[in-house]
Amino acid sequence: MYIALFLMLAGIVVGRIGQRFLEASFLGRAVFWAVLLLLFLLGNEIGANRRLFANLPVFGGQALAIALAAITGSLVCAGLLRQWLARRGYFKRNSDA
Amino acid sequence: MRDSIIILAVFALGVLQGRGWLLPGVFPETDFSLPALWVFMFLAGMSVGADRRLPEIMRNLRPGLLLLPIATTTGTLGGAAIAGLFLVMPMEDCLAVGAGFGYYSLSSIFITQYKGADLGTVALLANIIREICALLLMPLFVARFGPLPAIASAGCTSMDTTLPVITRYAGPGWILPALLHGIALDFTVPFWVTWFCSF
Repeated sequence: MYIALFLMLAGIVVGRIGQRFLEASFLGRAVFWAVLLLLFLLGNEIGANRRLFANLPVFGGQALAIALAAITGSLVCAGLLRQWLARRGYFKRNSDA
Repeated sequence: MRDSIIILAVFALGVLQGRGWLLPGVFPETDFSLPALWVFMFLAGMSVGADRRLPEIMRNLRPGLLLLPIATTTGTLGGAAIAGLFLVMPMEDCLAVGAGFGYYSLSSIFITQYKGADLGTVALLANIIREICALLLMPLFVARFGPLPAIASAGCTSMDTTLPVITRYAGPGWILPALLHGIALDFTVPFWVTWFCSF
């Protein structure tokens, strides 16, 4: 994990130095391809895990319920935070919020 | 929308490949996902660094955003507790599973150690589901609820695996808040999981 964070910091420095030569659209496309690769590998990992695949109906229901409840709870709480921050004028300078 | 379909299709191809139904033997057991993550992190870093609005983004990074991990923790544990009321499993088990915040590798290893492989598998699945939902529903979450709740839905994964989709749909201005959110949650996972497993 620390390697990944370090690489990101290194990328920020390289991007900053090479700012003039780098096109935003090119970087956007490169990032998108990296996402596709990561998703393919995640799918590959899930598909290849036999124990996980065999127990999917047994544990899947419980897991799905907890995951959906956790996501819903997060959306609700962060939505409340967003409203609270907006009332305090937090996003005034940040038009995309 | 087109991107979401491409993303979903590529993920489905990955699952088929993992089952060995696509090109058997082409992708061996070797896990390439870590180096792939490293490449992505470097590229994402470059797009942050090359962004000419970076100084402005840094100025906009105000203390209020530090409340986001707290909101995510409250919402996640609250949601898991409500799920625990309806599921035939102990409440503390539900909370331990929820407290992975999408960080499935670490939380499932911890839970397998403390509570056995069955709950460990539930933890793995629940946190993978959280990651996949956040990945696939990110465009919807950003459009419907805004960037803050969308980042919260991703939990820990907002610092790595879901960072690309957050960048793409919420904009590069949300990379740093998403990173901080993920890192802050990340550090709390071992604490929460161990605590809920101690009951």
